[in-house]
Amino acid sequence: MANFDLKDRSAIVGVGNSAYGRRLMRSPIDLAADAIANALDDAGLARKDLDGLIVSFGSPIGADGDTLAQVLGLNLRSYNQTWAHGRFTASCIQWAAMIVNAGLADAVACLASVSFSGMRRPMMGGGGDREGSREAGGGHGEDPVYGMTSPGAGAAMVARRYFERYGTNSRALAAVPVAFRKHASMNPIAMMREPFDVEAHQRSRYVCEPLHLLDYCLINDGAACVIVTTAERARDCKKRPVLISGMQGLPGSREEFIWSYPGLGIAQQSVFDYKAELHPVYKMAGITPADVDALFTYDAFSILAWIALERWGFCKPGEAPDFTQGGRIEVGGELPMNTNGGLLSESHVMAWNHQVEIVRQLRGECGPRQVKDARIIQWANAYGDSLIYHV
Amino acid sequence: MPEKQYQKPLPAITSLNQPYWDGLRNRELKLPKCDACATVWYPPAPLCPSCWSRKFTWTRLSGRGHVSSWVVFHQSYFRGFDGDVPYNVAEVELEEGPRLLTNLVGVSNDAIRAQMPVEIVFDDVTEEVTLAKFKPRVAIPSTQN
Repeated sequence: MANFDLKDRSAIVGVGNSAYGRRLMRSPIDLAADAIANALDDAGLARKDLDGLIVSFGSPIGADGDTLAQVLGLNLRSYNQTWAHGRFTASCIQWAAMIVNAGLADAVACLASVSFSGMRRPMMGGGGDREGSREAGGGHGEDPVYGMTSPGAGAAMVARRYFERYGTNSRALAAVPVAFRKHASMNPIAMMREPFDVEAHQRSRYVCEPLHLLDYCLINDGAACVIVTTAERARDCKKRPVLISGMQGLPGSREEFIWSYPGLGIAQQSVFDYKAELHPVYKMAGITPADVDALFTYDAFSILAWIALERWGFCKPGEAPDFTQGGRIEVGGELPMNTNGGLLSESHVMAWNHQVEIVRQLRGECGPRQVKDARIIQWANAYGDSLIYHV
Repeated sequence: MPEKQYQKPLPAITSLNQPYWDGLRNRELKLPKCDACATVWYPPAPLCPSCWSRKFTWTRLSGRGHVSSWVVFHQSYFRGFDGDVPYNVAEVELEEGPRLLTNLVGVSNDAIRAQMPVEIVFDDVTEEVTLAKFKPRVAIPSTQN
């Protein structure tokens, strides 16, 4: 570890996004071009400075890395891509940090572009969802033979299990989407800005019970990009660099299920009382959860915010329902979460929009939704990976 | 011609899971059991995920278990399920340990409860494929089994 210590050795120097919208009817290559150009401009870098690319979500919904290099006339020394899944945001940024410090590239654009409106067949749980019917089960517990289809169904299965185990319910869970919508109402680029209350949440139709429509993220078009370089090079960029001080990779085992922490007893997980130790990401950054000024998490479904809070030790298992009440996770509260409005209300760009917002928060660019004196922000997920950023 | 009428997705049968589907067709719930450490596992794997022994036996299970979680679909993602909504999908924890995704039959969605004891029902959906569904069972003391 000591001979390749990445604490504070890399930084995000530019962020950019395309327009976000329900039916933009624009190619994901087109959207990616906007996000990359905006991120370079934000960093004060030119196209020729960009020699690395990591795509987290390619075709058929997004644009692939090789396509972008060719079509946009990039000149890359290193590019890479994960399979079309939202879970790889932190992994991509971690690779970028390693790539720039290993000298394989100087400046790496990390992004996803998505055009769900361009899809002819339903990708999320329907006939076009090939991953959902792969051997040994889909990526979110899908088993279409029994009608277990779509990513949200796996989250609903976790929610029911959680409700039963800890004696809580959908009404308590409403606090999460209500808070994120409140944040979106202060965010001019958010797609859904009309606040709603618990009653409206309860009235919204079930998609996969016990989850209501308002527990589900948006499905939309858009692209978002961050530029990673070394901390040394970052000093010459246009704006204040946001340093990456802690990293933790994506865990995989029989005890892991994408939407729950170990011990909950979903899929083939054992059943035991999960206890959050001080995770490696905190040790690397030299902080504890108490030092985190704002927490961002992959909120494809509202329940994931509860799972993340408990997984990372912000509260104990079973305490998230209480923890999230009374504005505690809102701007001005003890631990603001997803101040952009999240995937639930800002936009679903595989959480690249969350990375953009984290950087804007740490630079103090967020206007009415600015977290006062934000210095340390964590990206930490229900599925167990994390980044800690600071200025 | 049940194949023509059955509109729902069918399982992709592979070299690993063939014995599972063959078992169901013969009205037996069978899963691999490790000859070395006695672990029973799902989904089918080429070796014991616990001790990595490659010596295992497809073993007939009791077909009994309990509901560990469940959901109710109010939206259909495949045309074959259009007429079924709202329909349930449950996770059943077998007495032998593994959890299977399934549909509960013989119980209304509102009456499903956590820990509800269930037993297997074989549903021949085509001439080739039999699915493992579950129905509520009256709990009987294990000494009478």
